[in-house]
Amino acid sequence: MEAIRNALDFSDFPRRDLLVAGLVALFLLVFPIFPHSAFAMATMIQFFMFSLYGMGWNTIGGYGGQVDLGKAQYVGIGAYTTAVMLIRWDIPFWVSMPIGMCFAIIWSFIIGYPLFRLKGHYFAIATIATSLVLKDIFEVWDFVGAARGLEISPIKYIPPDFLRLIFKQDVYYYYVILGFFFLGILYVNWFRSSRLGFQLRSIKDNEDVARSLGINVHWAKIKTYAIATAFVSMVGSFHACYIKNIEPEDTMSLDISILIALMAMLGGAGSLWGPIIGAAVLIPLKSYLKEWLGATAGLPGIDLIIYALIIMVVSAVEPRGIWGIVEKVRRRKRR
Amino acid sequence: MDILIGSLVAGLLIGMVLALVALGLNIIFGVMEIVNFAHGEFLMVGMYTGLLTAQSTGMDPLFALPVAGVVGFLLGVICYSGFVKFLIRGPMVAQLLGTFGLMLFLRNLALLIFGSEDRAIHHGILVGKSFDIGMGVIIPATKLAGAGLAVFAFWAVWMLMNRTRIGKALTATALNAQGARYMGIPTERMNALAWGIGGASVTIAGALIVNFWSVNPYIGILFTMIAFAIVALGGFGSVPGAFFAGLVVGMITELPGIWDFFTYTFNLEWMANVPMTSLKYMWVYLAYFIIVVVRPRGLFGWKR
Repeated sequence: MEAIRNALDFSDFPRRDLLVAGLVALFLLVFPIFPHSAFAMATMIQFFMFSLYGMGWNTIGGYGGQVDLGKAQYVGIGAYTTAVMLIRWDIPFWVSMPIGMCFAIIWSFIIGYPLFRLKGHYFAIATIATSLVLKDIFEVWDFVGAARGLEISPIKYIPPDFLRLIFKQDVYYYYVILGFFFLGILYVNWFRSSRLGFQLRSIKDNEDVARSLGINVHWAKIKTYAIATAFVSMVGSFHACYIKNIEPEDTMSLDISILIALMAMLGGAGSLWGPIIGAAVLIPLKSYLKEWLGATAGLPGIDLIIYALIIMVVSAVEPRGIWGIVEKVRRRKRR
Repeated sequence: MDILIGSLVAGLLIGMVLALVALGLNIIFGVMEIVNFAHGEFLMVGMYTGLLTAQSTGMDPLFALPVAGVVGFLLGVICYSGFVKFLIRGPMVAQLLGTFGLMLFLRNLALLIFGSEDRAIHHGILVGKSFDIGMGVIIPATKLAGAGLAVFAFWAVWMLMNRTRIGKALTATALNAQGARYMGIPTERMNALAWGIGGASVTIAGALIVNFWSVNPYIGILFTMIAFAIVALGGFGSVPGAFFAGLVVGMITELPGIWDFFTYTFNLEWMANVPMTSLKYMWVYLAYFIIVVVRPRGLFGWKR
């Protein structure tokens, strides 16, 4: 009860923010009613998925200050668990998703225990290394389809199949992921005022002081890493049902990991709205740039060039992201 | 036996080149404590420079090394004074992601200009020639020359760092930037110089590698990870460490051959079934992970 009340408690935000957030939530709820293209719908679903990934990253990377660049491995674990279970044993999504989360959490403990003895860039590079190791293993592992990947054929099931999450129209997927999205926001809202959340922020500010206050720094980081992992793996499972065709290259590649971290940072790491803002800016930009410049104009990679320029400018000029700019403007106004 | 010796020799030769790859990363990290994720992309620039110079002028790819060095030096200096200078004021997250941005930028610029197909050098004095050193071990001439020139370049950089005034100033900046500034060393210029030297050494390595390795825009990340593994093993900031670690990592990349040797020698069924060739680079990543967990300082590290 207490936890639910905390999760629903947004009172420390200014009223204007909550009004904007409420309007955006309303818009997201009614978006499918308006006429829209299939491309816009796909972009919206991508946006939800990536803002959930970003929220997961934000718990450890934003509140905890541990730059994790290996989130894609958990996308892979979730996606593969769901796909393998559905294809081989016909286990529905709602069962395989928690199992995938468990696998991801177990893996995060295995690698998290040694990983969190490292700091700064050692940690960041080590997360990349583990992610690439896992990807290489999946690329040769025949049980999960090796480099060819797995394909969930929708013909076998009768859509709409709510248990297995196999739909013909994207609208169903939209509302499923929208539900996850709202739950994710509530969870992170609870997390940031929880005991662990406060511990983590004190670790970010000064690890030695946090340790001297009796916080078990290592264990707090591992726990938060597991939380972040669970988020990412959950969306990974959804990704498997939504995309229906998963390969190591597009679920576990380094680009996904970077994208997740970048979005959270562009929006503003360490704030509740940061990853959402980041995803709302970057995902439409990325997919429309790719559509217009990459496919139409025949210039491969130009979308990512513009994208990279944005990253470079943001990290050089305002490393606290869009939310940092908003807060700066507010502080100036108050004065 | 010939497989084992062949793999070991090949590992040593490639290791010398890889050591030169890691040297640039090491110098930049040693002087400024910034990790350059775009390092592999610098190498890619070097590879394309070597390839295009050789193809457009018709001379042997080995003579393209000075061109690659100049390009790399300019690239390093431009990256520093145009971008990294602003980056280092921010927190570490921004530094990591900023150099990631640089990496994405260079990679996709290469994709835009050169397309995604593999390119390789087919003509040259050394291409296609090889030495038979007996016992069935064959060494391609390009690899031998690459290793030799890499060692030479490595030696040159080592001399520069240890025997010249500029090298002393760089070391002073690395040890204590503020103190160096009080002594009248222009640390800002030293940082740019470190990026220049780092860029030049890695592009020269790239121009050497392109003799026996085809190039595409996505090749960078592999070498970035290899360089990280080498630098972690040798110790961040240690130049001799980078050399020995390069040899070790070179051996790791030749593990499939060594594995084959044991498979044939002991005639083991299960060993033959392991897809070692596909997992070739996984051992490098795994090595990095184990090294930083077990001994974060590396073998020769002096910086914590």
